[in-house]
Amino acid sequence: MPAIEIERQILPILDSPNQGARFYNPDLPASEPFVPGHRTCAGCGPSIQYRMTSKASGDNTILVGPTGCMYVANSSYLCTPYNVPWAHTQIGSAGSFTAGVAAAYEAMIRKGKWKGAFPNIICEAGDGSASDIGLASISGALYRNHDCLIICYDNEQYANTGIQASSRTPFGGMTTFSPPGPKVPEAKALYPKDLARMMAAGHPHCYVATASVGYPIDLMNKVRKGLNHKGAAFLMVYTPCQKGFVYETPRSIDLGRLVVECGLYPIWEWRPEKRAYDYSFRPQNMRPVSEYLKLQGRFGHLHAEHIAALQKFANQQWQMMGVQLPDALIQAADPKNQVNMAAAAEAEAVALTL
Amino acid sequence: MTTFTETKKKKVRINGCVASAQAAKYADVDVITAYPIRPYTATMMALAQMVANGELDAEYIVADSEHSQLSIAHGAASSGARVFTGSSGVGVQFAYELYSPISGSRMPVQMMIADRTLDPPGDFGSEHTDALSTRDMGWLMGWACDAQEAFDNHLMGYRIGEDPRVLLPQMVCQDGFFVSHITTDVELPDPGQVKEFLPPYKHPYPLDPRHPVSHGPQIMPEQGPPLQLERARAMESSMAVIEQVHDEFAKIFGRRYDPWVEEFMTDGADVVFFIQGGHAVTARFAIQHLREQGIKVGMVRLRTIRPYPTDRVNEVLSKFEVVGVIETNMGLGSVSSGGSLYAEVCAALYESPEPPLVVSFMAGMGGEAIVLKEFYWMAEKMLAAQKRGKIEKRTHWVGFEE
Repeated sequence: MPAIEIERQILPILDSPNQGARFYNPDLPASEPFVPGHRTCAGCGPSIQYRMTSKASGDNTILVGPTGCMYVANSSYLCTPYNVPWAHTQIGSAGSFTAGVAAAYEAMIRKGKWKGAFPNIICEAGDGSASDIGLASISGALYRNHDCLIICYDNEQYANTGIQASSRTPFGGMTTFSPPGPKVPEAKALYPKDLARMMAAGHPHCYVATASVGYPIDLMNKVRKGLNHKGAAFLMVYTPCQKGFVYETPRSIDLGRLVVECGLYPIWEWRPEKRAYDYSFRPQNMRPVSEYLKLQGRFGHLHAEHIAALQKFANQQWQMMGVQLPDALIQAADPKNQVNMAAAAEAEAVALTL
Repeated sequence: MTTFTETKKKKVRINGCVASAQAAKYADVDVITAYPIRPYTATMMALAQMVANGELDAEYIVADSEHSQLSIAHGAASSGARVFTGSSGVGVQFAYELYSPISGSRMPVQMMIADRTLDPPGDFGSEHTDALSTRDMGWLMGWACDAQEAFDNHLMGYRIGEDPRVLLPQMVCQDGFFVSHITTDVELPDPGQVKEFLPPYKHPYPLDPRHPVSHGPQIMPEQGPPLQLERARAMESSMAVIEQVHDEFAKIFGRRYDPWVEEFMTDGADVVFFIQGGHAVTARFAIQHLREQGIKVGMVRLRTIRPYPTDRVNEVLSKFEVVGVIETNMGLGSVSSGGSLYAEVCAALYESPEPPLVVSFMAGMGGEAIVLKEFYWMAEKMLAAQKRGKIEKRTHWVGFEE
């Protein structure tokens, strides 16, 4: 039997003249593949991302959910928030299970066993899955170029298991596996793994991008670009976790903007056809990191030198994107120009009593 | 009954690995996923060539590990594809996490095992420990003793596992090298016969955007037991399906296997070897030779270890005075301080009114052949136990004792 040609979906890119603007009113698709009825926290960054992503993808979609908070909080037996097929897989199987789904549809459509346009196949891996235990499986899927989109919803920690450090947890981030103490006042001593650049550098034929829930249209467009790209795509999305970051629930989207504005979460695209980064995304403002840090309890223990170290790190990120640094940010990288977080003295006092 | 034109049926001379690859081709699998480890690799080499030649239309995925291999298989089967994978030795272990999720989601993935010792010490040889260590994960499992039987077991495996009353994955095992790399005559069927025997795979609830389903959501503790019970029942109900499929296989292909145990020269036997896999071929020669000398010895070969044919093992082994279990696997610190087959044989015999004496032999370890004189030595030990009415000890390490 002759092979049947596979029809691929092409999704339109949403009109958004100013990605950085605070308010916009585009025509969003009506489809809601991810509906209420799940058990995520109020203001949950990953679930906001889930809704935007699946809305951008539409109904001819299959979702794969490796173990993580978006598995445990979203799905509970006999109740499901998914209007499209969804499957759990093991935390280390993000890329591989997804590859299996994509391969099955390639074969089944080609052999006439399933009729219709190739589904949008999306894997929603947490940063623990994507940057640690499932890293090789995702690299394998990207390398082999299965037609799928792998998203790392990056809440910078293992949130499902009660806030533990992942290799995406930032320097200074307090988690239950990286607590501050007299010996380690900064809490997390290591800098985060640059997962998205690693994926772009190692799999240059793939569409790779970073995004944040603070910029919904940019996020949805990147989802669509990733899906339209014939082959594998990888998207890393900043998704704050109020439980782990310890902030006021309504501020999730604010944090999603501040993290970009302070340079700690560079937003870019890797364009596989040009084999080049696109750094044209610009937030409305540039701010010192302290404005982002001070909203979150996980950074409450930081001393002036730690804040300065994070500012230095942010400045390096701006420079990697070719952005000219204003003097204020250069000076902010000097510990003399920083003050301890309000909670630093108290945190130290508590730690000394333990 | 359909009659077949026998023109396309042919005898070929191939090894166990290639027989498995041929079976996957006849089953028209949709997704194949490979990762190299000796000795099963030769199966995937053969399939890669078939795909390259255009003889088989399948997605051929070289995975980045066995864990990924089994995850790819899980994802593909969940989407409705017929899947073939395989491994050996430590590769089987590397994928361990996936065995329960695959059987728990009731995906009839098929995995070819050409068995191999575990590390240490980086030994290539055959030993059944790799697959046996996964035996309680909800996979149907059994060993072939030659390439023809391996081929047949693959086809029967798909048919049994994909049956809506079963929906369980299958490990189709053969001894590394002794079966996987020994070339013998294998009869390849007419594709029409396979078409009649094995209908296309149709999972009732695949990941299909037109009929959305959620696979594997989080459960509360009280929801666990009913799901475990269902999986246990699927394993139990597979027994009737296994018998039915073996009958149909015999009708269509003309080769009849007892689904549970092969009895060889057990008529009038006092003592029997209880064995799995390829060493049974040598055992048959040893038994013929011993019988010529008037020694009443026979062999019972276990063909299916999951589901375990408890009643059948009890019924068959109760006829004899001494049973010598040939382990070919490691059960360190187990009931017999030897292998893991002994405990199950004894458990199956517990309800026997007149149970035989049971003794365990550690033989064929690390890929060593069990040679004729070792079978004679084991027969002597069994005869001595028969005479004494008592075993000397539970476990003998063959080749390490007088």
